Amino acid sequence: MSKRSYIDDPLIPHPPKRPRTIPRDHVDQISSLSDELLIHILSFLPIPSLLACQQLSRRFHALAGDAELWKRQYYSRWVRPRARRLANARRTLFSHPEIEYSPRVSTWLDHGHLAKEGMSTNWKRQYRLRHNWSRGVCRVTEIEFPQSPRRQMLVSFCAGIVFTADSDHGLRAWPAEKPEHCLARIPLANSPSPAFPAPTAMAAASGPQQGLVDVTLGFEDGRFNIYTLDTTTLRLGVRFSCVECADGAISTMASCFPFLLLVSEHKVLSLYETKQDMDGAGGLLAPRLLTSLKADSILEPISLSIRATGPKIITSIVYSFYHIGCGWSLGIQELQFGLDGQQISSRLATTADCHYSTVSPGFRSRSKMGFRSASYGTGPGSRQNTTQSGPSISHHEPPTSVSYSHPYLLTSHADNTLTVYLVVSTSTSLSVKGCQRLWGHTSSVSAVQVSDRGKAVSVSSRGDDIRIWELESLVSSLGGQKALRDGNSIRISPENRLGRRHDGLGMVPEASLGEANAARSIDIPHRLARMRGCLGFDDERVLLLREKTAWTQMLECYDFT
Amino acid sequence: MAASGNLLTFVSADNVHIEVERDVAERSLLIKNMLEDLGEATEDIPIPNVNEPVLRKVIEWCRHHKNDPPASTEDEDSRRKTTDIDEWDQKFTQVDQEMLFEIILAANYLDIKGLLDVGCKTVANMIKGKSPEEIRKTFNIQNDFTPEEEDQIRRENEWAEDR
Repeated sequence: MSKRSYIDDPLIPHPPKRPRTIPRDHVDQISSLSDELLIHILSFLPIPSLLACQQLSRRFHALAGDAELWKRQYYSRWVRPRARRLANARRTLFSHPEIEYSPRVSTWLDHGHLAKEGMSTNWKRQYRLRHNWSRGVCRVTEIEFPQSPRRQMLVSFCAGIVFTADSDHGLRAWPAEKPEHCLARIPLANSPSPAFPAPTAMAAASGPQQGLVDVTLGFEDGRFNIYTLDTTTLRLGVRFSCVECADGAISTMASCFPFLLLVSEHKVLSLYETKQDMDGAGGLLAPRLLTSLKADSILEPISLSIRATGPKIITSIVYSFYHIGCGWSLGIQELQFGLDGQQISSRLATTADCHYSTVSPGFRSRSKMGFRSASYGTGPGSRQNTTQSGPSISHHEPPTSVSYSHPYLLTSHADNTLTVYLVVSTSTSLSVKGCQRLWGHTSSVSAVQVSDRGKAVSVSSRGDDIRIWELESLVSSLGGQKALRDGNSIRISPENRLGRRHDGLGMVPEASLGEANAARSIDIPHRLARMRGCLGFDDERVLLLREKTAWTQMLECYDFT
Repeated sequence: MAASGNLLTFVSADNVHIEVERDVAERSLLIKNMLEDLGEATEDIPIPNVNEPVLRKVIEWCRHHKNDPPASTEDEDSRRKTTDIDEWDQKFTQVDQEMLFEIILAANYLDIKGLLDVGCKTVANMIKGKSPEEIRKTFNIQNDFTPEEEDQIRRENEWAEDR
């Protein structure tokens, strides 16, 4: 069979040739490709080239910023390595050993917050956010608050809004994005009087509906107020006021709608239910006291948390106590309630055992300390500790702060370290595992905060050393003795403060050298106690409240976007 | 002109008849699906969007790769990560830009995934490691930004520069 060409067939006209008036080298041919094909080409490029392409032209700016391209990059950089790591650690858990990128709305492995239904995610922004977190790159905004020596300002961070409370200015809300301007404020008392009790504890949590944030303030006379901020109308109002609910000042609170957990200075723990009024007036029914427990010998710092898991409400109280064998330890009391407020169980675990490295996993001892419930005791404690060797971790001073977000439990210490534990809570038992020291700080660590996604932020009292920790590899090494590698923490380095950043040797910034120097030396123990509850972070920002000088406090917002 | 047995006849946009073995032609999913629908192809197959030189290049590629295993979806990620191109394909894509883009268009139209990827990777390799100005020069892309806009975009993307 012979090939036929059009030359042999005079009936078929020559197809018009493409006009080539300009030399071929000077024609922009790549732009003749469709968007789809150009994105296909761009999908083979690494991040720096994508960013270079964004600078080419308007069309390339849009194409190289395509959400699907960046989602793919995000998955291959952050999600998939993590999924592989987890799959390797727990091979049996996943039927598919590798996670494939899929353009569908995916809620894979705690990334549901990124792929909300009906909302398009800016994946380039998300990628940059993760990138900045992984390098500690951020911008810092500082706001100064005058501080009266008697009354401490409380600060809390929820849903991108910073809440501050003090006797002089009442409760104020600030947007974390632009913390220079106050969003809303409300005085604590109807008529300002110096006799009005000062706020001593604050908890903020998402309210009953979307866009509502509940802020609970506890006062020194035992009363508490529940305020609600509507984030769309910016209306801040009192929803409920409960006078003399607790005996004595409320020292710590945690809330998770519709539950409120508080501990008074006399170590009485109360759990309230704060149901919304059914008649639609938006008010609250009187908080119902579900249970009240008295503690014998718990010591500060205390961390409270509430989490709702299906039909159960789990409240946890983490407290410090002194253990003869291994120094300062932590106890975790876990109370489980049904949704009707009926107490299901109460369990106790301590970190004392995992301070001994030679202890066998099945060996658990009970401690008599902790909360004693009238209805449900923790049972007679029996010490069967026969371990010969000394503890591998022994703290001679109480931790400077405690943070617990299941399953991570962290304490910070004055000896420049943090200790991380994993809390294992199953239907039958509660235990603490995987105790490890974290090194990285070069001065006393004064506060630590951990999120349930395994990210922790810690701050040194001596100023600017703020570190980010990714604790997830600890889960993978659970049971094994693989230590967290050194350098697992990232130091936050705000790019707009590089000039006056000082090293971690405890040097004082020049600006505050003069007046503050004298006060500083006496001030330190005082300040250590005050650093508690001053640290918060979410997906985009770290918030820190600290004393700048004796008379001013500084609210610092580290923005990673 | 009718094709006999294992041979098909493609007719290019500029009306050139080219004979192709069926297994070679079936590298194109468009052709493969069409043949499945038609059963036995007895007529010439017009390829209206592709000119003769390009079509010959495409067939050359298909002939060399006719025994490749079908592209698996599993290694999607590793395939994307690497812009490595095997030696034969590298030689194959040493053509001028016009031809390269014509091949990409043809591969896209004929649905030949392997060839489309080779073409796109080749273009990606021409972009990789270059500054925006160098990329513009390579492809004659017109910069339609105002200097202010350009400056703003550069600042927006500074975060990745220390990689």
